[in-house]
Amino acid sequence: INYTPTLASADLGGLITASTFVLEQPRCVFGDFPSEDIWLVVALPGAVNDFNNSLAPGTPERAFQEFPNATPAYMTLNTTLFNYPCPKTPEDITVLRVGSETSCANDASRPTCNGPLPSPGTYRVKFLAWNGSGPVAETRWSAPITLRTVKQPSSITVMGSGHSAGMIALTTILSILFAILLAGLLAMLVFWGSDTCGGSSSFSKPEAVSVRKYNTHHVYDQPAARL
Amino acid sequence: MAKSDDGIHILQGLLVFGNVVIGMCGIALTAECIYFVSDPHGLYPLLEGTENKDIYAGAWIGIFVGFALFALSILGIIGVIKADRTLLLLYIILMLITYAFEMASCITAATHRDFLTPNFFLKQMLERYQKSGTGNNNGKSVDETWDNLMLQNKCCGVHGPSDWQEYTSAFRVKHNDADFPWPRNCCVMNAQGSPVNLDGCKLGVSGYYNSNGCYDAILGPMNAHAWGVAWFGFAILCWTFCVLLGTMFYWSRIDY
Repeated sequence: INYTPTLASADLGGLITASTFVLEQPRCVFGDFPSEDIWLVVALPGAVNDFNNSLAPGTPERAFQEFPNATPAYMTLNTTLFNYPCPKTPEDITVLRVGSETSCANDASRPTCNGPLPSPGTYRVKFLAWNGSGPVAETRWSAPITLRTVKQPSSITVMGSGHSAGMIALTTILSILFAILLAGLLAMLVFWGSDTCGGSSSFSKPEAVSVRKYNTHHVYDQPAARL
Repeated sequence: MAKSDDGIHILQGLLVFGNVVIGMCGIALTAECIYFVSDPHGLYPLLEGTENKDIYAGAWIGIFVGFALFALSILGIIGVIKADRTLLLLYIILMLITYAFEMASCITAATHRDFLTPNFFLKQMLERYQKSGTGNNNGKSVDETWDNLMLQNKCCGVHGPSDWQEYTSAFRVKHNDADFPWPRNCCVMNAQGSPVNLDGCKLGVSGYYNSNGCYDAILGPMNAHAWGVAWFGFAILCWTFCVLLGTMFYWSRIDY
């Protein structure tokens, strides 16, 4: 069948993760095969060329649990045309999430499990219509799909302090102001020292007394005025 | 004589006014720093595990400096009115010590604010969130903080949900990738606290998961904290500088 499976739309945040990916459903593709089971084949890229499509799904050669060590391809996600109605309503999100069944991933009694893909390597998929004894139709192979490889958090460089301009300005100005104040304090202490040496403070004391004298003058003036 | 009398009175008035302002600013600084130390946004656990909580040290110093400024401003007012040289000298020296402490607080807050880059939080989140096997309170607080952060601010990760996809993490060790491409709290929740559409969330359909990062929600309060302590302190110190210069000048003119 002249159809290539594609990934779903790119605005899905979980389009490709480390162990799953999301395909568009094959709507309006298998219209001639209303009663057959439509399977999804997931294979390593190396197995694409000599892929034997007459191996039945559910057999150990096509079991998910044996993938990728003992078998280079597995079949899963079987359904009938009923679940892929045509035409597709445009608002619906019609996707297939490959790798979403985690409960049966290690259960050998469920060889058609849609388990999470074991490694982030490259995979190619195609759809296959199977009528119980053999393949009746298949689509083309998809382009290689590569899953995400994750990095270690220790590879994150925590940027060693780039000092912002504000902080540098703040430090500089405060240091200068503090230095000026210390200089002022020193000047004060020197001034005080020279004061006591010169004895001018002792001079100022009589001045204070003389100011009081003026005040008493005024006090005496007033009773005089009353009289 | 009258002229310099007036001049001195004006200087006295100005110094008293300056000290009143210092006193009020001191109280404001104490109140502001107490507010920051009380951590209303619950972000302290994010810094606690790392070596970078000195931004809070700046706030702690600010509390005590604020009190000291208030007390010293009263001393200053008394000293200026009484025109007592010893009192004023004591005032100036104590003020300089307080000045030095406040300088330290401002510079610490400003410097450590610069360490809070997105990668800093990213690394910490990846290494600590949902880390199993931590029996101590430290690990749990990081979990709770991130959970609350993601729920209340409707955000996910530091840059976005792709953080959980791009890097391995303690979370990834605990939860497999197919069931939990990102934590459940990244999903849009209904009133009961469960995801509106779990499959939509796992697929990453916009509207069912939060695709924006939490960095802004973290940085906003942190910035307010750092700039509040650093720049308000800077403003107080500039004003104090002027008042202290005036006091020194007044001191040298007292027994005119």
